[in-house]
Amino acid sequence: MKKTEQNALATALLPASAIGRWAIFIIRELGRIAIFFVKGFLLIFSLPLQMSKIIEQIYFIGTKSILVICLTGAFTGMVLGLQGYYTLVKFGSEGLLGAAVALSLIRELGPVLSAIMVIGRAGSAMAAEIGIMRISEQIDALETMDINPLRFLISPRIAAALISFPLLTAIFDVIGIFGGYMTGSVLLGIDPAIYFYRAQTSVLMKDIAGGFYKSLAFAVVVVTICCFQGYYTHMRAEGFGAKGVSFSTTSAVVISSVLVLIVDYVMTSFLI
Amino acid sequence: MKKTSIEAAVGIFMIIGIICVGYLSIRLGKMEWTGDKYYPVYARFQSVSGLIAGAHVELAGVHVGKVYSIKLDPKRLVAVVELKIQKGLKLSDDVIAAVKTSGLIGDKYIELVPGNSETLLKPGGLITETESAVDLESLISKYVFGGTK
Amino acid sequence: MELPLIQLSDIYKAFGDNKVLTGADLSILEGQVTTIIGKSGVGKSVLLKHIIGLMEPDSGKILFRGRLLSEMRKSEKTAFKKKFSYVFQGTALFDSITVFENIALPLKEKTPLKKAEINNLVRKKMDQLDLQGVDEKYPSQLSGGMKKRVALARALVTDPEIVLFDEPTTGLDPVRKNAVHKMISDYQKQFGFTGVVVSHEIPDIFYISQRVAMLEGGRIVFEGSPEKIQQTWDPMVQNFIHGLERGHKQISGIESHFQGERRIKEEMARLQRYHTPFSIIIFKVENLEEINEKLGPTAGLTIITNLANELQTITRFTDTCYRFGLDKILLLLPNIDREQTQGLCEKLAGRILGKDIFGLTPHSGLCLFISASFKEGQKGGSYEQMLLQTQSMQNMFYEFKVC
Repeated sequence: MKKTEQNALATALLPASAIGRWAIFIIRELGRIAIFFVKGFLLIFSLPLQMSKIIEQIYFIGTKSILVICLTGAFTGMVLGLQGYYTLVKFGSEGLLGAAVALSLIRELGPVLSAIMVIGRAGSAMAAEIGIMRISEQIDALETMDINPLRFLISPRIAAALISFPLLTAIFDVIGIFGGYMTGSVLLGIDPAIYFYRAQTSVLMKDIAGGFYKSLAFAVVVVTICCFQGYYTHMRAEGFGAKGVSFSTTSAVVISSVLVLIVDYVMTSFLI
Repeated sequence: MKKTSIEAAVGIFMIIGIICVGYLSIRLGKMEWTGDKYYPVYARFQSVSGLIAGAHVELAGVHVGKVYSIKLDPKRLVAVVELKIQKGLKLSDDVIAAVKTSGLIGDKYIELVPGNSETLLKPGGLITETESAVDLESLISKYVFGGTK
Repeated sequence: MELPLIQLSDIYKAFGDNKVLTGADLSILEGQVTTIIGKSGVGKSVLLKHIIGLMEPDSGKILFRGRLLSEMRKSEKTAFKKKFSYVFQGTALFDSITVFENIALPLKEKTPLKKAEINNLVRKKMDQLDLQGVDEKYPSQLSGGMKKRVALARALVTDPEIVLFDEPTTGLDPVRKNAVHKMISDYQKQFGFTGVVVSHEIPDIFYISQRVAMLEGGRIVFEGSPEKIQQTWDPMVQNFIHGLERGHKQISGIESHFQGERRIKEEMARLQRYHTPFSIIIFKVENLEEINEKLGPTAGLTIITNLANELQTITRFTDTCYRFGLDKILLLLPNIDREQTQGLCEKLAGRILGKDIFGLTPHSGLCLFISASFKEGQKGGSYEQMLLQTQSMQNMFYEFKVC
């Protein structure tokens, strides 16, 4: 009698315990990711500094992303110019276009879109590369040589991302503001002086600093998630080998993109 | 050979990026946080409706500073506005700060009207004489319907 | 007894539900080459990875010179790892850097050596391992054997005290295989390093190792000298080292072929010197092709395996039995003459008749023909001659028919 009651209770609690398990899993995973990042970050400063590796990674994450950042920045600015103009013209305040474009780029679109572009370009590649190194035992090989794989593989990437992201964001912002100028002034005939005057007067250092902090936060999120997914490819339950790498790459891109947007919201609510 | 070209490419990337950061922070952000060119003063207003951080501060129609932040004083329930005024501009302690509107529905800004006092307002000091934002709607309704009281 | 350099005791390791090691004990003595043999997938690599600390046991102790590995301080662990090198089964070369950089990496990262010194050491090691003109190539541009040698070079360039080899010769041609074995043994003599080798190269590996351990069912079932393992009575060990357990060896049949050839040559030499007689019998499944056609490609293999297992049960432990061709099994019988052989064949016929040698449900109309040819060892004459003569018609003396 008592036993059946207990069983019934257990069945009733099944969904609850499933949620609990899931929550514990998520919390543990978060903890692991945080530890992974902190270790990797601290190891950047361990001597001797791995300058050539960091430069190599900046080349990969930053330099090679310039083209895609310029393109997306230009078109984002241009479309903002178009949309903003037709919205503002209804209120007779098209003169504010410069402010609208500059603020939305510097505060939001610059950091977010450049982070997403870098995820697609470099983040996925990072996850795949590290994942392959994991499954072909290259990471184990590093360990047997007493080379710390975190220091050797992850730290240069974290350093490079922390350097590259703000710079890419700045490039995105500047190109975007000029993109807005292209549609707003050249195409739709707002006085360029007013456009830039408005952009200048409306943007505060606070906005620029906010965008800068965001880009740093996104750098941390993207590089940590992508490296983490690759690094622990072998622990995935869904698939091993090449399939595991493909899962890792996919989840690296998806998770880091979503997290970028979530972190963006949280940071915006703090910065405003 | 290959290595130097990577380094050069990274160098170019860094230069472009730093130029962009410089453009953003110097041209657009005006690097206020260096704190060299401005000093803060505070002003209390009954209402700053429509005023935003970053709005101009003018004296005799000349740009002399910016609204840095707007907060609510929780005790007195009035708005406290932090103004950044250019260094070198000395304000007397009876200066009047008024919230004005450029044009009919344009941006709000703060107009400073100089006073006659001998004592100067210290950095971080409080402007006591203020005029709040004109509530255009109530003004219009007053004009249209006539003062009911 | 001296203190073992590394001692694993009662190691348990499971991956999820898959219990790989269930109480494995292994001692590795300093200055010796210890070989771990065992079937594929039995956990040899896992055991090897425990030694270097790549994997941590679920329970059990790993001692290095009597010190517990898990209790070592960080500095001790660093010193411990410095002494080791590991040659991975899949080479684990860094595929984004060149061969030269691969070999130089451990030196570059972990020693204060200058660039010129590193270059010298790397160059020397590459010359020793016959790796010329590949400096600027990437690992993926090399052949499998070449990669293996690069991995060896990378492991040995730091002059380690202890080298763990995870199947160092798999995928190499016989010449290079011998070269690698020779290199391991030469190096071991020269530098006195301690080697642990996971290998399938039976019996080649016995010639370079001082100790052999066999892993089966998650435990070490045999540990001792190579001579001891060849003399042991344990049928599991015997079956394995004679390559007659069903496993991937059997499909190729090549390794055991080498072993058989060596044994026959030994016997021929013995006959020459001590006049001890020996005989060989070759069993041939005459209609293997037909069986494979009718019953599927694995049917032939099943029959050969079953036949071999039957042979195994009636032979003495000094006899050697190996797969000699696709459809042939060779039985080497030292100290035996014609009559005894005849008796043996009759005994075998009796056994076969009582058993389902097809390993499948018998097919109507399909009979199995097994012929046995016999030859007594003669002085003079080569191995090849002897085999040819054995297989000639006049030496055929028995035929089984199983329907």
